[in-house]
Amino acid sequence: MIVLPAVLAVASLLLPPAIVQDTLTVFAASDLQLPFGAIVPMFERVTGQKVVLVFGSSGALAAQIERGAPADIFFSADQGYVQQLVDREVLYRGSDQVYALGYLSLVTRRGSGLMLRTLGDLAGSGVVRIAIANPAHAPYGRAAQQAMRRAGIWELVEPKVVLGENVRQAVQFVTTGAVEAGIIARSLAGDPALVAIPVDPSLYDPILQTAGFVRRTARLELARRFLAFVTDTAGWAVMQRYGFARPTSP
Amino acid sequence: MDFAPILMSARVASLATLLAVVTGTPLAWLLGRHRFRGQAFIEGLVLLPLVLPPTVLGYYLLVLVNRSAPVGQLFDGLGLELAFTWRGAVLAAWVGSFGLFVRAAQAGFELVDPRLEDAARTLGRSEWSVFCAVTLPLAWRGLAAGTALAFCRAVGEFGITLMVAGNIPGRTQTVPLAIYDYVQANRMAEANALSLLTLAVVGLLLLLARRGSGARL
Amino acid sequence: MLSVEILKVFPGFTLDVRWEVGDGVVALFGPSGAGKTLTLQCLAGLIRPDSGRIVVRGRSLFDSVAGVNRPVRDRNLGVVFQGFALFPHLTVMENIAFGLDRVASEVRRRRTEEMIERLGLTAVARLRPAQLSGGQQQRVALGRALALDPDLLLLDEPLSALDSPLRRSLRDDLQATLRGFGKTAIVVTHDLAEVCQLADQIVVYDRGRVVQAGRKSDVLGRPASPEVASALGIRNVLEGTVLESTAEFVRLDWRGHTMVAANWPERPDLPAAGSRVAFFVRPEHVRLMRKDRGGPVPERRVNLISGAVVGEVDMGSMVALQFRAEGDGPPQARGYDLEIEVSRLVHEKLCVYYDRQWTVSVQPSAVQLLPGLRASAAPG
Repeated sequence: MIVLPAVLAVASLLLPPAIVQDTLTVFAASDLQLPFGAIVPMFERVTGQKVVLVFGSSGALAAQIERGAPADIFFSADQGYVQQLVDREVLYRGSDQVYALGYLSLVTRRGSGLMLRTLGDLAGSGVVRIAIANPAHAPYGRAAQQAMRRAGIWELVEPKVVLGENVRQAVQFVTTGAVEAGIIARSLAGDPALVAIPVDPSLYDPILQTAGFVRRTARLELARRFLAFVTDTAGWAVMQRYGFARPTSP
Repeated sequence: MDFAPILMSARVASLATLLAVVTGTPLAWLLGRHRFRGQAFIEGLVLLPLVLPPTVLGYYLLVLVNRSAPVGQLFDGLGLELAFTWRGAVLAAWVGSFGLFVRAAQAGFELVDPRLEDAARTLGRSEWSVFCAVTLPLAWRGLAAGTALAFCRAVGEFGITLMVAGNIPGRTQTVPLAIYDYVQANRMAEANALSLLTLAVVGLLLLLARRGSGARL
Repeated sequence: MLSVEILKVFPGFTLDVRWEVGDGVVALFGPSGAGKTLTLQCLAGLIRPDSGRIVVRGRSLFDSVAGVNRPVRDRNLGVVFQGFALFPHLTVMENIAFGLDRVASEVRRRRTEEMIERLGLTAVARLRPAQLSGGQQQRVALGRALALDPDLLLLDEPLSALDSPLRRSLRDDLQATLRGFGKTAIVVTHDLAEVCQLADQIVVYDRGRVVQAGRKSDVLGRPASPEVASALGIRNVLEGTVLESTAEFVRLDWRGHTMVAANWPERPDLPAAGSRVAFFVRPEHVRLMRKDRGGPVPERRVNLISGAVVGEVDMGSMVALQFRAEGDGPPQARGYDLEIEVSRLVHEKLCVYYDRQWTVSVQPSAVQLLPGLRASAAPG
C-alpha cells in the first residue's frame, strides 16, 4: 500500500506544475466576481498573459496578503483595507486608486412570492432571515448594516440577520432559499434567480472600491496594465454593465 | 472541466500520505511494541489533531510557519516557503492524516506476537532484520489500512489548508477548496462533478483497501 | 556440556538455581510456575539474570562477574517455543531456512531440503503453518531450530499444544529426533510420562529452586525428599517408625504392620531406632496375593498386609485400587491407605470388583526410604 502513494507522489512531482510562471495573481473582493469573470478572459486574449483570480471578503484577502499571500494586485471593496496595507508597507504607497463606486441592492428569490419595496419591509413577518456579508471583514456587509441603522430598522431586524463570509456567500443564501432576503452588492444582483431593488444611497456611505499594488510583486507592469484595462474603455464597459459608477474624485 | 485542482490534490494527498507513513511508522512501532512511561501522553498527542477543530490546528500552524516565525524563516531560507504554497497544503494534509495513520498502524503492530520476534532473534537475526522479516509483514494489515485512511483524509483536507495555504487556483487550490469556490460562485454543475469524482475515488480506495488488507478500518 | 547458575529476583518470586549436565536429553521437571520456562528464557538470552553464569560447551553465554552477556542472536541456540511460534506468513521451507539467511544460498537450500526430508515434511514444504496439523507444526518448529546446528537445543513443553491421542506417537518421533541431535537438549515439561520416555537426566524444580538433579533412574528411583517425591507425582508416601536399621535393610513399623525396606549401599545414613522415617511404595509394585494357589511362596512371604479394597479408579489399561489396610488408626487420607495399580487383566481374573478382601505383599526393594519428613502424609 505504500507503493500507490509513492507512485502518485513521484508522478505528480514530475508533472508540470499547474501554475504558469508568468501569471498575474489578482486578489479581488467578492463583489467583483461576475464583472471580473468577464473582464479577465478579455484581458488574457488581448495581452496573451494568464491571470489567476482569488475572491474573498476584502478584509480576509487583506489579512492573507499581509501574511505573505502571493498577490500581485489587490482590488478591495473599500478604501480602508487598502489604506491599512499601505500604512503597513504591504502595498506600494501612492499606488492606491479608487477604481469604482459600488452600490447596494435588496434582493429576494424570484418565485418566492415575497414583494419588498423598501428596506422597511424587512421588518415584516414575511421575512424570517436576512443575509448580508460579515461586516467584520466585508465592506458590503458594513454598508448593509449602516443602511439598516439609518433606515431605523436595525433593532427590529438584527435578530433576523445571517452573516455570509463574503458578499458572494450572502447571495448564495438567497438563491438557495436559505434566507428570504439579502442586502448585497448590486454587481451580483443581476442573477436571473433574484429580484432586486436598489437601496437608497443616502442610507450608506459611498462604497469607494480601491485597488493597490503589492510590494512583493514581480509583475508590476502587468498589474498596472490590468488595472488600466479595468478602468479603461473595454473593461469599464463591463463594470458599468454590472452597476458600477465612475468614482467622482480624481 | 478544470483539471488543475485534481492534479493539485493528487500531488498534495500523495506527498502528505507518504510523509505520514514515513514519519508515522516508527512512532506507531514504538507505541505498539513497547511499554514505557509517558506512552499515554504521546498517544494523546497523536490523537489531538484528529479531534481538534481544523481552525485551531490551522491557527497554530500559521503561527508556526509564517515568515516571522523561526520555522517559517528556516524553510524560507531553504527556498521552501510553506505559507500560501502547495508545500503548505501538504503540511496541512499531513497534520490532518498523521494521527489516523498512526492509530491504525499501531493497532497493526500490537497484533504481532512478541514470541515470533523472540523466535527470530534466537534464529540469529539482528533487530533490524527481525523488524523487516517478522514485525513489518505481520503488521501489514494495520499499515495498509492506515495508509488508505491517511490518503482519504489528505484528499479531503479543507479547513487547515484554507488557513495555511489559502485558496489560490493553480497554487494551492485542492479539490475540496475548488468545490467550495464553485459553490460560492453558484457554479453548481462543476461543484457536482468534482464532488462525484472525489466520492468515487475515495470510495474505490476504501473498498480496495478493505479487500486488500482485510483489516477493520 | 552445559553449566547453569542463575539468580533472578522478581517481586514475589525468586529463581535461584545451579545445575550442570552433560550431553543428552535433560528434562526440567516440576509444577507450573516453578521457574522452568524462566530458566529457558535466561538460557536463550531473552531475559537477563540478575547474576550468574551460563556456559555451553565451553563457551560463556553469560557471566555477571566477567561482564559477559551475549546477545540472543549470537548464542547459537535452537529454541522450540511452547505453541511453536512458527512464522504464519512464511512457508514451511521458509520457516526452516529462516536462521540460515547469512549462509550461502546453495548451502542454505541443501540444508533446508535435508532437514525437510529428515523430518518427513516434503509433502507440505510449500504450505503455511495454518494449513498443517499439530504434529507437522511441531516438526517444523524442530527443523527450524535444528537447521542452524545449534550448540544447545531448548524445548518448552514441546507436546503440550497437541491433542492427547497424538502425543504418544509424537513423543516417539521426538525421542528419535533428540537422539539424533547428540548435544545437550533441554526439555521443559510437567508431564512425567514425557520425562520417563525422553530424558536421560532430570532437573527437578520447585518454587524457583532445584530440589534434585541427576540421572533419570536416580531421581525417579530415589527421590531426595518427600517434596521431590510429591513433585514427581509419586504416590503412597507414608510415614513409619524405625525399629532396626542395618546396612542391608531397615525394619520399620507402619500402623502396626512391620515393613522391611532394603537399604541402599549409597545411602550412608542409618536411621536411628525409634525415629520417624518417610518412605514410599510404588503402586505398581504392590502385589495381590492369589487365593487359589494355597498361600504365598516363601520368597513372597514378606511385607504382607491384609486389608480390603474400598474403591477403584478405571484408567483404561490399568486399574488403580484403593486399599484400606487392617490395623489401628485412621486411614492415610480419603478413606484408604495404599494405592495399588494392577493391569485390567489381573483385575478381571481375580474378580476384584466382587472379592474385596485381600492380602498384599511388597518386596523390600520396592519399599523406598525418603530422606526428611513431610508435614502431612497423604498417598500422593
